[in-house]
Amino acid sequence: MGNHGARDIVTIKKGPVVRTKNGAYKLALPKDHREVLTHLITQLRDSLLNTTDDASLRRLFPTAYHNDAKKDAEYQRLMREELLASRLSSIEISLSVIARHDELSEAEIDAFARSINSLRLVLGTTLDIAESDYGAQNIPDKTSAGSVDEKTNSIEIEQDDEEPVQRELYEYLGWILEWTVGAQSEAL
Amino acid sequence: MGYFQLVNARPAEVLEPDVGDATKFDKPWIVIVWNDPINLMSYVTFVFQKLFGYSLEKATELMLDVHHKGRAVVSNGSRERAEFDVYRLHEHGLWATMEHETL
Repeated sequence: MGNHGARDIVTIKKGPVVRTKNGAYKLALPKDHREVLTHLITQLRDSLLNTTDDASLRRLFPTAYHNDAKKDAEYQRLMREELLASRLSSIEISLSVIARHDELSEAEIDAFARSINSLRLVLGTTLDIAESDYGAQNIPDKTSAGSVDEKTNSIEIEQDDEEPVQRELYEYLGWILEWTVGAQSEAL
Repeated sequence: MGYFQLVNARPAEVLEPDVGDATKFDKPWIVIVWNDPINLMSYVTFVFQKLFGYSLEKATELMLDVHHKGRAVVSNGSRERAEFDVYRLHEHGLWATMEHETL
């Protein structure tokens, strides 16, 4: 699993996702972050609408019966479309809340978290992320935003090589998700 | 949850006898979450708390089992219940499967 307890190292008081005093949530994201997330989530939606059989999407549609192919085929026949619909619904909610600047409900932050996690699963699969990739330098803790320059609050992406860009985005998404989970956990 | 409603509406399928292994009906189905290098530990813990109502301590223990032992049983029950839990875990991006409990 990724991120070895890095959320315990909290030195930044205000993150990109916060729980408000009245129990709602806010995305404290600058415009360029919102644009990047919108772009990535839109790409995921388009991929899902095109096909669910692409290798990069396999983690989004896991096997249910790991030792019974017949039962799994039956399960997939009945549930795959429902799972796809659920993912697409979360994506639409996520695109909506990223475009807004008001408060998010519990259901909306939950959809946002699942969409960010879906993006991580796809990017992580594409990058062939392995357990050994999680050295200390790769932990997406709350204190360093990975691809985010905290002085300028901008996302720095090298344009000439796809894998470093994807890796930066993967770490950035981990940073966003870490804060999202932190905010959601306050409600438990 | 159309599938689960469908299963409820067709009890004959659920009760169809599995000749030759009658004791299977006495064993619950178990839901297993498998380790993967992508999902964040904090996210997995949170999902266990949210979906199953586990305490932070219990959810963390299960998450660490997944991480260190490669898998953990997170719930058990009827086949229908296990399929429902597997679906919810899949919705949240976790790598979950189900099987008959072995003694």
